Parts: sequence; C-alpha cells; structure tokens
Amino acid sequence: MTQLKELLSTLEHVAKHPAQVINKCLEDKRLMIGCTPEYCPEEIVYAAGMLPVGLWGGATSIRNANQYFPAFACSLVQTTLELGMRGVYDQLAGVIIPAHCDHLKCFGQDWKVAVPQVRFIPLAHPINRKLEAAVEYLKSEYSRIKSVLEEIGGKPISHQDLSEAIEVYNLHRKTLREFTLIARDYCTTITPSVRHNVIKSGYFMDKLEHTQLVNSLIGELKKAPPEEWKGQKVVLTGIMAEPKEILDMFEEYGLAVAADDLAQESRQFRTDVPEGKDPLERLARHWSCMEGCSLLYDPQKNRRFMLKTMAEESRADGVVACIMKFCEMEEFDYPIYKKTLEEAEIPLLYLELDLATPSLEQVRTRIQSFAEMISLKP
Amino acid sequence: MITAGVDIGSTSSKVVVLEDGKKILSKVIIPVGAGSSGPARAFEQSIREVNLSREDIKRVIATGYGRTHFPGADQQITEITCHARGVYELLPGVRTIIDIGGQDAKAIRVGQGGIVSNFIMNDKCAAGTGRFLEVMSRILEINIEDLADLAALAENPASISNTCTVFAESEVISQLSGGTSREDVAAGIVNSVVGRVAGLVKRLGVQSEVVMTGGVCLNWMIIRMMEKELAIPVMASPMAQLTGALGAALFAFESAR
Repeated sequence: MTQLKELLSTLEHVAKHPAQVINKCLEDKRLMIGCTPEYCPEEIVYAAGMLPVGLWGGATSIRNANQYFPAFACSLVQTTLELGMRGVYDQLAGVIIPAHCDHLKCFGQDWKVAVPQVRFIPLAHPINRKLEAAVEYLKSEYSRIKSVLEEIGGKPISHQDLSEAIEVYNLHRKTLREFTLIARDYCTTITPSVRHNVIKSGYFMDKLEHTQLVNSLIGELKKAPPEEWKGQKVVLTGIMAEPKEILDMFEEYGLAVAADDLAQESRQFRTDVPEGKDPLERLARHWSCMEGCSLLYDPQKNRRFMLKTMAEESRADGVVACIMKFCEMEEFDYPIYKKTLEEAEIPLLYLELDLATPSLEQVRTRIQSFAEMISLKP
Repeated sequence: MITAGVDIGSTSSKVVVLEDGKKILSKVIIPVGAGSSGPARAFEQSIREVNLSREDIKRVIATGYGRTHFPGADQQITEITCHARGVYELLPGVRTIIDIGGQDAKAIRVGQGGIVSNFIMNDKCAAGTGRFLEVMSRILEINIEDLADLAALAENPASISNTCTVFAESEVISQLSGGTSREDVAAGIVNSVVGRVAGLVKRLGVQSEVVMTGGVCLNWMIIRMMEKELAIPVMASPMAQLTGALGAALFAFESAR
C-alpha cells in the first residue's frame, strides 16, 4: 500500500508541477520540444535525444493572447499562447504545432509572431489520410521536422534511433492501455483525478521512465482484489477533461471513469504505430490507422459506434461529452454520436468546458444533475 | 414528520416546509439569492410562521445555484432533479419542463416516477434567462413584473437579437433612440427569450405535457409566445418559482422516512 501511495504521489506531483521536471531536464542539458495538441510525432523528438513536452494549455486568465485570437477561439489555444507570451515556455528549444483545426492553424501563425523566442515547427497533416499519397505526404512532413530537430540538436537522427523511439512509445501505449483497463476495477483508489494525473504525467516525463512507473503501479494495484464500487461509472469523450476541478466534482458526486475517449488521454495511446521497415513511413501510416477522433477525417463517423461499444463494454452508466467551448470539431461530431447513444438508451451529458473561466458552478450543476439522473434511473 | 426544501437561486431564495410529505405548512420567497442573507432569512421566516424551530425539521434539502453554501442543509440536490420531482407532484402528466432561472435556462425531460431522464442547460451566454429580462426591463424603466402587460400592447414587435445579452442591450437602446415604441421593444424582448429557450427545448425534443417553472413563468406573455413557438399547450407551474423548493422538501421527506 505504501508503495502504491508513493507511486501515485510521484505521478501526481509530475502532473501538477511539470516545471520541476523541466528544470531537472535543464540540469541534465537535455533539450526539450513542446508538442501542442492533438497529434505530434513525439517519436522523432525522442529519437533526437530530446524530451517531448505536452502543451495542453492551463487554467489561466487571458491578458495577452486576445491580441491574436478572437473571443470565440477555444481556451486550449488561447491559454497555451498566453503562457507562451508570458515566457513560461522559454526553456523549450522549439514547439511543434499541428494544424488540425481552424484555431490551431491560426495558433501556429500567431506563435511565430507572439512567441518568437521559441522556434515554431509547423506540421500539416493530410485530411484524406487513408490514401497512399497521404502517407507519402506525411512522411515528407515528418522528414522536414526530423531535419529541423537535427539542426536544433546538432546531430543526425538515424533510422535506428527512430525505430527504438517507436518501440519505446508503443510499449508506453500498451502500458497505458493496460492501466486504463485495470483502473476501472479500482475506482476507489483510482479516482477520476488520479486516473487523469497518471496519464497526464506522461506528457512531462521520459516515456521509458513513465512506462516503468505505470507498470509498477499496475503491479501494485493487482496485489489487492478489485474494489467494490457503489457509485456510477461514465465514459469521458472530447478533447480533455480539464480544468482539474471538474474531475474532483465527478468524485464528489460518486462518478468514476470507466473508460475514456479523450484526445489528451486514450486517443493518444489506443493505436500503436504499425510495423514496417521505414520508421518515418511507419509514423506516417500511424495517422492513417487511428480512428474515432473529431480531428480525423472519417466520412463514416465511426466514432459513434466506438463510443457506444466503449460504454457497453465498460458497463458505464453514461457518457460525458467534455466539449471545449468553441471547439467546432467536437461540436460537429456531437449530434452524430448523441443520436446513436440515445437510440441505445445510453445517457449523455454535454459538458461545456473552458480553461480560462474560474467559475465552475454551472458545470457543477450539470455534473451533479447527471449523477442524480443516472443513479435514480429505473 | 416535518421536512423543508430550500431553493437558493441567483436572484431569489425560496423555502417550502412540508408536513408528512403532503401538507404545505409554509412557503416563503425572498427576492435575493445566493451569496446574500436571503436563504437564511427565507428559512427563518418559513419556520417562524408556523412556530417551529430548526430542531423540529427532520431533514432539510438545499437546491438551486447556492445549494452548496447553505449551512443548515442535510443534503444538496440540484434544481433540475428537484423541479422534476416538484412538477411530478403537482402535474404528474408532464414530460417536459422549461425552467427559466435567473442566470440559466433548462429544458428537462421527466421520466417514470418524476425522475429526470434527460436535460439541457443553456450555454455560452445569458441570453434567454431571467437576468436578460431584468436587464431589459431596467432599460425600459419598468418592473420586470410589468413586462408582459407592456408587451401585450405592441402593434409591431421589434426584432431583437437573441444571441447575446450585451449586444441585445445595445440593440434595445438603439431601437428606443430610433423611435420604436416601448411596447414594441418589450414584445421584441419577450420574443427573444422565447426564441432562445424554445431552441433549447427543441434540442431536447418537445413531449406533451409541457410546463414552465421558475419566476419567469409568471410572465404570461412568455407562456403564450412559447406555446406559439412550440406549437403545443404550455402550462405555468401552480407553484411557479416554489416548484424546486417543493421538490426538495419532498425528497427530504422520502429520504428521512
């Protein structure tokens, strides 16, 4: 039990105080590259011997970023730019910014001007991602990023470096998948916040070290029998379940997380980089293999079926859509999976979230009402 | 057994004291809500009126926006669940509740036994809420209670944006400066609230019977326009803004029994 507590405490500390981890990295003279949402080829950064650091905004007020963004830009890009403009990311050697949505497209361009001290590394994914031409194109994008990182790091990145990085990342993905499966049997210990912190801490640590810690955590959890859970369980979907206070509210109202379909969490690790000979091609093909995200072009809209299956298999009592305010990509998908879930009689909560708004009372009412609704459901 | 429900909204505090889950002993409304002395005053008054003390109340449930900060409560339940319970007691045939509160609007689907089976709350802005009506009434220099009667005199209702309270405020000022009559502007304001909230109800799906709760249901013009917009009869809750407090008092009785 002591070992379990120590592991959870370590991971929580990293998730809540990434600056300390980053300072350690600076002491070790290891370069760091920021990776903004939602999908960056972290393996290339890792292969360069650098530490990829996830930049997913934060709970802060907007004072500078509104020079560049209109009020209806999502708070994820606004708060990340705000923190960048305040110099919070000055220790990074560069920032990779993909252009998955309109807000991210502007974000990259804004970064170049607003945070010139941290090098902007653009990345444009292909939309028609199932075509061979798309793989070829994305491979060329990754090749360009590799060259930029080689220039920053002052040394070449070999095929072997890349292949090894892919193995490290695939192992990390497998470990986190195992953790999320185990976590649903230990809902008292692995509360929604604890679960989130275990996953989030991986954004600020070397993936090898994080894999080891999570593996140890899984081992410690398995030592005890599964915990009885008297509350309800939900599946989370959307971009991310922050600000962190909302997860505390889940706990307060007896809601555990049975599974997630969040871009910040499971969407990052539910699909491995496929096998192959050319590591850059493998990474490019990864983009074609992923499914069920609002940012991935999918004319069949299979996310709706994935969510239904996820809720049924995890025996969840409902699904919570964590919609980042003004996130058009998620808003477009919502009515489609809402219909499917309604037809399957799976309760669905629409939770509009904003990282920059300190008042969460309306969110509290929604979460508590949903908890009351599913707990009283005949 | 005596139980009480305390509904602390953003603009008013409401209390219902019940005997044996059936007889209403007292009901009090104080026109100040969360963060004020309103909840405590309303509660004190409600028990004083029937010569009771806190010790006589077996269980108190707080609901509404300020529910988490009422020290006298044994439990907190949201206004969504409490409105559904209160409405089920008063009008058991109701399947759709429209609750327009001080700072939010909600559409609630009532399922079997008065249990909520779905709900939607407004998001992004305060348009279509009681606060919107308050702001607009202030510009028209009338009491909010008089808005319906003024709107009823309209000859050519003005068109008011229903997307943003702040822009709508500027729009109302410009309409008045441009010579539009106060009656036509008042009708435009009512239409604006109805348009916004009806959209919410349609997203939930309109199912008969439909009732409106909350203080805004006292505005008869809003009820009439809502009926027109939804093309279905809309009732006003007989206990209007006390419906949530009634639901809370009923839950208190059921959980203490």
